[in-house]
Amino acid sequence: MGLPGLEFAAAVFTDPTVIGLIVVGTLVGVIVGALPGLSSSMAVALLLPFSLYLDPIPSIAFLAALYCAGTFGGSITAILINAPGAPPAAATAFDGYPMAQKGEAGRALGTATVASVTGGMISVLVLLFAAPLLARVAYSFGPPEYFALAVLGLSMLATISGEARLKNLIGGCLGLLIATVGIDLTTGVDRFTFGVPELLDGIHFIPVLIGLFAVTELLTQAQHLGRKRSVVTLAALKLPSLADIRSVMGTILRSSGIGTFIGILPAEGSTVAAMIGYNEAKRWSPRPETFGSGAIAGVAGPEAANNAATGGAMVPTLALGIPGSATAAVILGGLQVQGLRPGPFLFEEQPALLYGIFFAMLFANALFLVIGLIGAKVFSRLSLVPPALLWPSVLVLCFVGAYGLEQSMVDVWVMIAAGVLGLGLKRYGFAAAPIVMGLVLGGLVETSLAQSMIIFDQQWAGFLGRPIALVFFVLALGGIAGAPALGILRRMLSGADSKNVS
Amino acid sequence: MAGDSGSARGLHPDTIAGVALLLLSAAGFWLTTGFPEVPPMLSQNVPPTFFPRLVLGLIAAGGIGLVAGGLRAPRKTMSRLRPLVYVTAGLVVLVPLSIMLLGTLATVFLLSLGLPLLWNERRLKFIVPLAIGMPAAVYLVFTVALEVRFPTGLVAALFG
Repeated sequence: MGLPGLEFAAAVFTDPTVIGLIVVGTLVGVIVGALPGLSSSMAVALLLPFSLYLDPIPSIAFLAALYCAGTFGGSITAILINAPGAPPAAATAFDGYPMAQKGEAGRALGTATVASVTGGMISVLVLLFAAPLLARVAYSFGPPEYFALAVLGLSMLATISGEARLKNLIGGCLGLLIATVGIDLTTGVDRFTFGVPELLDGIHFIPVLIGLFAVTELLTQAQHLGRKRSVVTLAALKLPSLADIRSVMGTILRSSGIGTFIGILPAEGSTVAAMIGYNEAKRWSPRPETFGSGAIAGVAGPEAANNAATGGAMVPTLALGIPGSATAAVILGGLQVQGLRPGPFLFEEQPALLYGIFFAMLFANALFLVIGLIGAKVFSRLSLVPPALLWPSVLVLCFVGAYGLEQSMVDVWVMIAAGVLGLGLKRYGFAAAPIVMGLVLGGLVETSLAQSMIIFDQQWAGFLGRPIALVFFVLALGGIAGAPALGILRRMLSGADSKNVS
Repeated sequence: MAGDSGSARGLHPDTIAGVALLLLSAAGFWLTTGFPEVPPMLSQNVPPTFFPRLVLGLIAAGGIGLVAGGLRAPRKTMSRLRPLVYVTAGLVVLVPLSIMLLGTLATVFLLSLGLPLLWNERRLKFIVPLAIGMPAAVYLVFTVALEVRFPTGLVAALFG
């Protein structure tokens, strides 16, 4: 069986603009990923307004390349300075930095590169086959199924972090609330606009994103300014041997599968995948005691998993219109702003665009094999750029990006408000990603719920007659209540055990 | 260095966050009472208040959960924000005001000069090229190439 959509690959590989943008996106992604504090979500959010000046295929191909490369770039600084450039690389630092301290930085970086590329490529291949299949299933979905699916997507926020379970759900609801600002499409009534005409069309997604991801991070950097980082010297970049790669190939393949699966689950992104990838690498290792002190499988496991999650995250994003991660949510927003309707019909309406994205991601993964192996030493130097010189440029990009979309100062104020609010929320343990997910899904949730209620003549029980929707609701309930219920059960059982012992 | 401070009146941060969410929900609900009435025929029995109130109800429920969890949890301290964070936030708020007064390019110049100085960067050999390069880059990339029309500011309008 050949690759599906191969006939559309020409749209990517014969267009010099697209090729050039993928190369630029990959380079920028690795650079941004390597800079501590700058994540791929932030980079995609910052560059989204500028990508809108392009046609859909080059625009989304650029963002997809940025997404893949940004996730990989974080490993460079995780290994060299023990400061993950992005959260998904946090697990890479556990063993990558000890390896670098032992003079094996090149070996760690090379392993991270090979693992990332393998994970990324496997997940894109899964994306190529799974997304059309999933879309075919979703053709039969009506508003009740879409509402249930969106609820499932939001409920998965609860599983991202056990500690912040409730806060993630609240964050998702805050995003939904922000999405209600503007004219209600059913009745034409304006809601929460406070007489500001610019808000009648709703709060634009991009300024909120830039504020939550970039301005909040700028203020966080101000809090942590002055922390010193020690850089491991890289006199010679000694790459991993074939024997090294062979020894971790099992870990890479296993983590690629794990990462792809985690990525496909709505809301679960690369960070979760990397942590599970690391734990599984340790669990399957014949020498788990070496983990934490420079085990090569401790680098390969999380790196394969976090990059595999990027392709996995694009499966529900493109096939269902439900983002698989925070960065995928930003790309989903980009598709919407381009006037496209992500979901199953996109495969009929825009096959060239979809397969263009797939092949762009494949190409980006192949590119950072070269970039990672050759340029790691150069990119590692980027981490030495002082925040005091880096962040003014980021802030200028924030203002230009927020303003440029509609050329409106209201968007700039929205961005600032989102940034300041984001800092407050962050201090109280609320993450930006759930708010973004809620904001992106807001329109779908409200519209599909309203349509369902009209179909069911205002009877909530109508959902009981829709088996697919019911399955989604049960899964959502499992996602929200499953872990706490298991915890209670475990406590009850351990309580019973201790009574028996006494 | 950031010091530690107890949260207000010794309350757990989750309790404070929960109370804030309850207040937000109450304020949001009050705002929905001001939405115009729409005949059921037009709204198809799904009034404009339906979804916002549903979401506000969920936020309020979450807020109650946080308050309850915070009251049960052991006391927790939060690190105090450094004054630099407030000053930086103030600078960020000043930027759009400066754009409206001085114009975009002048503001970008001042921002590229001011933020590094504020953040204790004193190496002029880096700051000056940044302060000159940023407005030039914004002008060339966005104004010339992408044709974004930035506000020129009141000062330019007065002298233009």
